[in-house]
Amino acid sequence: MIELNGLTKRFGQVAAVDELSFTVRPGRVTGFLGPNGAGKTTTMRLILGLDVPTSGTALVGGHRYQQLIRPLRQVGSVLDATAVHGGRTAYDHLLSLAVSNGIRHGRVRQVLELTGLDSVATKRVRGFSLGMKQRLGIAAALLGEPPVLMFDEPVNGLDADGVRWIRQLLRRLAADGHTVLISSHLMSEMALTADHLVVIGRGKLLADAPTQSLTEAGARADVLVRSPQARELAELLTIRGAAVKVEQDGGLAVTGLDAPAIADLAAAHGVAVHELVPRQPSLEQAYLDLTAASTDYRASTGPRSTEATR
Amino acid sequence: MTAVASRTDEPGVPSLAARALAELAFEWVKLRSVRSNYVTLLIAAIATLGSTVLVARAVSAASAPPPPGPLTALSASFLGYAEYAVIPVSVLAVLQFTSEYATGLISTTFCAVPRRWAALASKAVVTGACALIAGELLAFACFWLTQALLSGRHRGVSLAQPGVPGAVAAGGFVLCACALTALGLGAIIRHTPGAITATLAAIYGVAALCLVLPSQWKDDLGRFTIAFAATQVVALPAVRSGVRAGARGVASRRTTGCRAGDRPPRRLRLRALPLDPMRYCAGPTCSVKYH
Repeated sequence: MIELNGLTKRFGQVAAVDELSFTVRPGRVTGFLGPNGAGKTTTMRLILGLDVPTSGTALVGGHRYQQLIRPLRQVGSVLDATAVHGGRTAYDHLLSLAVSNGIRHGRVRQVLELTGLDSVATKRVRGFSLGMKQRLGIAAALLGEPPVLMFDEPVNGLDADGVRWIRQLLRRLAADGHTVLISSHLMSEMALTADHLVVIGRGKLLADAPTQSLTEAGARADVLVRSPQARELAELLTIRGAAVKVEQDGGLAVTGLDAPAIADLAAAHGVAVHELVPRQPSLEQAYLDLTAASTDYRASTGPRSTEATR
Repeated sequence: MTAVASRTDEPGVPSLAARALAELAFEWVKLRSVRSNYVTLLIAAIATLGSTVLVARAVSAASAPPPPGPLTALSASFLGYAEYAVIPVSVLAVLQFTSEYATGLISTTFCAVPRRWAALASKAVVTGACALIAGELLAFACFWLTQALLSGRHRGVSLAQPGVPGAVAAGGFVLCACALTALGLGAIIRHTPGAITATLAAIYGVAALCLVLPSQWKDDLGRFTIAFAATQVVALPAVRSGVRAGARGVASRRTTGCRAGDRPPRRLRLRALPLDPMRYCAGPTCSVKYH
């Protein structure tokens, strides 16, 4: 369990993290979303004790990270997968971390096998692709079999197979009762992986809700209609109280009427319909709506640097 | 290391000693698992021993008896050592921190060892110990190599002579002190080029400054150089008198009955120390004085 209480980090006048409070619970994958510079990485660094908060606390399992004894057995994390010494082999990198926290040496082989790196264990990390480095980072995080896992952009640089592998791994870990926090800018990936979402913008909490409810609440469902008489149909729909938006390719995005109602209306007026697709709201849209609102709100409160750190 | 692992497999809170050992093992594994560290040490050894042989041959080839001066049979052993061992080992020590900052690995290190002072201390112990061992091996190797080449010319000194073992051992401490200075500057400055520059300034720059300062200030400032600090570790009167006058000086000191417990004069003559700071600037061309 990770608990943030009024966590704030200021760099000069800029609040990279601003009064952030939320709890990451075990047994589910929590997605940590926000646009670039929202403060995701800074928040994770604060949780790991790599930066000192200006005020507020970040607790892991009820303790500050610096108070943890053998922290790698409590929290596994990957902030930057490329942060490895190129001259060291994957095995030695993991072995050094294992001895630092009194983790049995046999565990190194286990995590190498788990992440599919056993064939390159004795190769120096310099030659690794970004995807392999991601796997190495994940191997290091799993080394101490910690109950809490925290990954910053874990699918960066992974190919389609790798993405599916990590998605299944994260879901399996959460199902086993681990606390899993992952940040990502890939909304589609989050929709498939995360059970719960925490969205921040400019260091402030925007949403803390189950993925499904956020999807439903955030954006409206609509119906895509294509017709050779689009203009005529649009007028009819507007008269019936629907909102119609013409999309770039000429399709009509209709809200306020469901697909059967639109079809009936078109039939009654003899308008041909070539395509009628009810569309579910996307997490992407929900997210954009949320962050756009935060940007508008912020812009009106006065001049403030948009440059959050790191 | 296996002892650490087996002990930590027990449940409960590990003792402070067990954690300290684990942190030392962490740094040791990191140090030994990078091949460039071995290469650096190998280059340091080859360059040091090579230059030592060159200096010893030059001294040995000199036909006239050496005039009284800083270059003695003992200090000749360390001419190569002062440059060619100190620089690579210092750079290696600087990199212990700066390479981690450059790659970002430092975050992982602090995640594994959240107490910063513990991370600093374990790096200092591991790096310092390695530099000390390498330093002692090189210092004694340089000494024996030089004396082997000089012995036939009746210019050598022996380890049996008072003060000589300490003076040679001090050579190892010099390397350790330089490595720790470099490690500390690396931890503070965090950038490799800056930290290397600062380290060389601390080790050689101060000594170079002594060359151009009035003699009064020279000694005052010289007292803060690493080479001078190393000589404080050994038996000062024996080393000082032994070195100042060379092998003959050691003999005469014996005959005059100078006791080992004699307190050294407060202000030492820096020129006469086995690791003369001025040597750092003058270079091995100094041996020309013999011709």
